[in-house]
Amino acid sequence: MEPLLLTKREKRKLASQYADLCLTCGTCAGGCPVTGVDGLDVRKAVRLALLGMDQELIDSKFPWVCTLCGRCEYACPMNIDLLALLRSARGMRARDKVPGVLHKGVEMCLKTGNNVGIPKDDFVFLLQDLGAELAEELPGFEVPVDKKGAKYLFTINSKEPFAEPEDMMYWWRILYAANESWTTTSENWEGVNWGLFTGDDAAMKEIVGRIVKNYKELGCEYLVLPE
Amino acid sequence: MSIHDLLKQYIEEGRIKLDKSIHHELTTYHDPCNYGRKGERAFGHGYYEEPRWVTQQCCENYVEMYPNRANNFCCGAGGGAWAAPYVEERIFYGRVKAKQIKDTGAKLLIAPCHNCRDQIMKSLRKEYDFMDVEVKYLWELVADSLVMEPREEAEEE
Ligand code: SF4
Ligand code: SF4
Repeated sequence: MEPLLLTKREKRKLASQYADLCLTCGTCAGGCPVTGVDGLDVRKAVRLALLGMDQELIDSKFPWVCTLCGRCEYACPMNIDLLALLRSARGMRARDKVPGVLHKGVEMCLKTGNNVGIPKDDFVFLLQDLGAELAEELPGFEVPVDKKGAKYLFTINSKEPFAEPEDMMYWWRILYAANESWTTTSENWEGVNWGLFTGDDAAMKEIVGRIVKNYKELGCEYLVLPE
Repeated sequence: MSIHDLLKQYIEEGRIKLDKSIHHELTTYHDPCNYGRKGERAFGHGYYEEPRWVTQQCCENYVEMYPNRANNFCCGAGGGAWAAPYVEERIFYGRVKAKQIKDTGAKLLIAPCHNCRDQIMKSLRKEYDFMDVEVKYLWELVADSLVMEPREEAEEE
């Protein structure tokens, strides 16, 4: 094995700004439920990054079984930005090596406006259909779509129209009871930004940008992401 | 605008009315990482108290998990793990959460996050044997507690 020269450290990409302040105290790893999985833990991840062993960390499963929950970061006495480190390790993986459906979801969202590829017409039809169903109980109820000047713009988690459409009615009931002015949109309504999870900043920005565009074009006052 | 502020505002301003007698069972609240710790770090405010307050407007009988708020344990499905292929690791992660929930003795758990709710309701309950605990979104709890009043047509804009 080649010795690791500290002079090589300039080439580190992953080690964040403050990582060299790490005391190796282990507080972070001590409070993490996946410490030891894949032979790693968050303290070791910091060491790998500091030693310039970026690739080892990028190739390991650890940054993906970590849920980016932030418990380690919250407890770290040196306030090291551990989530940024773990998330960049995800982001530096080749996109075709991103585990499972996450990157496919991102690509789908960029292409169709939602992670599961529901076409616009189907989506609007579903909203109208469910809205009519709820109107039997709540007179006059309908789902406002692309309504200009609505106060609140709501995004939707695609798993609901995809798999649990009735669950959308919880919010609808509340908004009806409060007699609120709100809307959702026929396109780019996806509230789940998987770019955040895959470390894909460009995709993340694009997806957020589309929501903000809807919000501006409709002239809404507030954006609500019920995640 | 956070859903917590919105729900709180509706209740405070009397725009929605809630019936506390519907959910009488012992209820606990799960702090999602995103609304709590991460919100605190990114925006300087963690939503810890607002959702607890909303929950307690619907449920009289309330108990905390330990640890909670900023020190709470993640459900195990955050960061995209619910959609990732590491199922065994996700369930292993969730053992801590499962214990926290069971230790409260609560029969209703409120989770204001899609991921947390799915992980706890669809996976952990089965894996760690607490099917007797019901899981609801925070907004589901509110929607199920609503006292619907007939609408006044005059308010149409
Ligand atoms: S808690 Fe902070 S200082 Fe301690 S080992 Fe972890 S990263 Fe280093
Ligand atoms: S962010 Fe990742 S490493 Fe840190 S405590 Fe949570 S799961 Fe563990």
